[in-house]
Amino acid sequence: MSFHIKTPKTILKKVLVGLVLFFLGSLAAYLLPFLIPSARLRHPFFPILIMTVIFVVAYKPIERWVKKFLEKYFFHKKTFAQMALMDLASDLAVNLDLQEIANLVVNTFGEVLHLKTAALLVPDPLQNNFEVASAHGWTLAASKKTHLAADTPLLKLVHQTGPHVLVRGPILQSLTWQEANALARDFDALQAGWVIPLFVKGELVGLVAFGALSPDTVFDQADFHFFREFASAIAPCVHNALIVKRLKQFNNELQDSQSQWVQKTKLNAIEKLAAGIAHEIHNPLAIISGKAQVLLMQKGAKQLEPNVQESLNAIVKQTRRAADITRKLLMYSQGSRGPQEWVSLEKVLDETLALLAYQASLDKIEIIRDIDPELPRYYANVQEIREIFLNLLLNAVEAVGTEGKISVELKYHRDEELVEIVCSDTGKGIPAEHLDKVFNPFYTTRHEAVGLGLFVTKQVTHRYGGSIRVESQEGVGSMFILQLPCAAAQKAGGEKEEASILSNQRTAR
Amino acid sequence: MMKKLLIVDDEVEICEFLKSFFEDRDYRVAVAHDGVMAFEQVGIFKPDVVLLDIQMPGLDGLQALKKIKEKYPKMKVIMVTAVETQEKIEEAMRLGADNYITKPLSLEYLEKDVQDKIELLAKGV
Repeated sequence: MSFHIKTPKTILKKVLVGLVLFFLGSLAAYLLPFLIPSARLRHPFFPILIMTVIFVVAYKPIERWVKKFLEKYFFHKKTFAQMALMDLASDLAVNLDLQEIANLVVNTFGEVLHLKTAALLVPDPLQNNFEVASAHGWTLAASKKTHLAADTPLLKLVHQTGPHVLVRGPILQSLTWQEANALARDFDALQAGWVIPLFVKGELVGLVAFGALSPDTVFDQADFHFFREFASAIAPCVHNALIVKRLKQFNNELQDSQSQWVQKTKLNAIEKLAAGIAHEIHNPLAIISGKAQVLLMQKGAKQLEPNVQESLNAIVKQTRRAADITRKLLMYSQGSRGPQEWVSLEKVLDETLALLAYQASLDKIEIIRDIDPELPRYYANVQEIREIFLNLLLNAVEAVGTEGKISVELKYHRDEELVEIVCSDTGKGIPAEHLDKVFNPFYTTRHEAVGLGLFVTKQVTHRYGGSIRVESQEGVGSMFILQLPCAAAQKAGGEKEEASILSNQRTAR
Repeated sequence: MMKKLLIVDDEVEICEFLKSFFEDRDYRVAVAHDGVMAFEQVGIFKPDVVLLDIQMPGLDGLQALKKIKEKYPKMKVIMVTAVETQEKIEEAMRLGADNYITKPLSLEYLEKDVQDKIELLAKGV
């Protein structure tokens, strides 16, 4: 398929050739009778004859000469552009970074040809579509959002036509209106009037799509020839960079899955250990605590001495504390094997706040909650979410001591698709040198605490693919920022069945 | 009528202090140390409420629970567990356990719960 377009340059060229030929013809017809005094040359048909001869003989050389002249004196900018682009192509040959290549291509292309938009699309084998690697003159959002699925009309057409440059106008005119409509949509999506496919050994490795500032801009055959040359020069660079990128990706995935596997095996081992320990420790604890409780709650016996009673109470309390450690360890190691459901974070937060409300009011702690009205439900295990809130809040209550403020914010970041929990307090703060230790297991500043709260919180957060960090200033307060991503499953059924927060668990403590 | 309670646990000491606690509160108490013994005792002693440990040698708590509930669907069974694993608890609830409590036990809560179950029985629920 080839497209012949009458550009101003072509028209100018033809007119100039015509003028020169006409001038030569007239000159010959006028001068020859003077030079050669023959009666035949005065014949009225002679000028027509000489004109015809000159047109036939001199057309080709004159045209070549006019073209050269024009290129040299009027269109030298374009040759400069071509040189710049070919230089770029040779620069790219030594580059293996796809992003850098894409940026260079679109920016140079856009600048030297004075284009409105230019974009390089590369295949994404995972999604089976083409994504924008870099774009010139596009908005950031557009370049992030634009994808070209493998079965779009434009890509189908490219596979049919091969390495030819696609020009929007003429192609659309050659199609039925339905096909043209579908194809126009693809051109619009790419904000392009022209598309140069990049082929390497019959494989489509990219597309350069560009649009001009003025709708009148046209390119001629020579330009298209150059575009094809340019495409064949940069295609191998893009291809190589794509391969390097894919290899890196595979490598990362491999490493990820390996570390996940290690983590999983580790957790399995810890779970077995924790379950074993819990069983072996909870039974003796039950006996110690039980016997103390029997003594405390004896009926009909004489009143216990106050110090004995105090000791027995301490025994009961401390056994519970010891049991808490193993329980938390077990919870940490069990992973996310608990049942998951659509959880209203707000509801879980309120339940947790209710647990703390009494203690907080005694300590004159004001708790402020601020919840994003757009907060979606979150697919998770209720117990784990409750654990997160409880640990953050208990920590804050402890940090404040008496009189102060705790604020809990639940935010939804639609763009990044994540839920953010921010828990800040006006407590005593964390010394800078301890900031990186707060999430370590068994790190605590309290005598009564185990030091697993924040550790477990961090583990649970990581299990949901989230992150947690802390900002703190001594004497001013601390702020824990926890971000949980909404996974693909989250989007699938945003408003599914009501989460039964108080599931059928009647736990006794 | 005396309230009857069967305590099943492979830890003899646990059975002992629970026995003395409940006998102090006018219960008739029987004790078993494994699932098979428990099932036999259920037939002979006909308790109102069974406190059933989950982890036991031989016939474990869940299997014993299944057998008890098959034969005496109205008998109240409270599971006692040292390890609070989600699956076991769900399994127990599915098999018809009436409640579960975790070790170390709060005797105050346990007494109240046993009392509740007996009241439920009296009402014929």
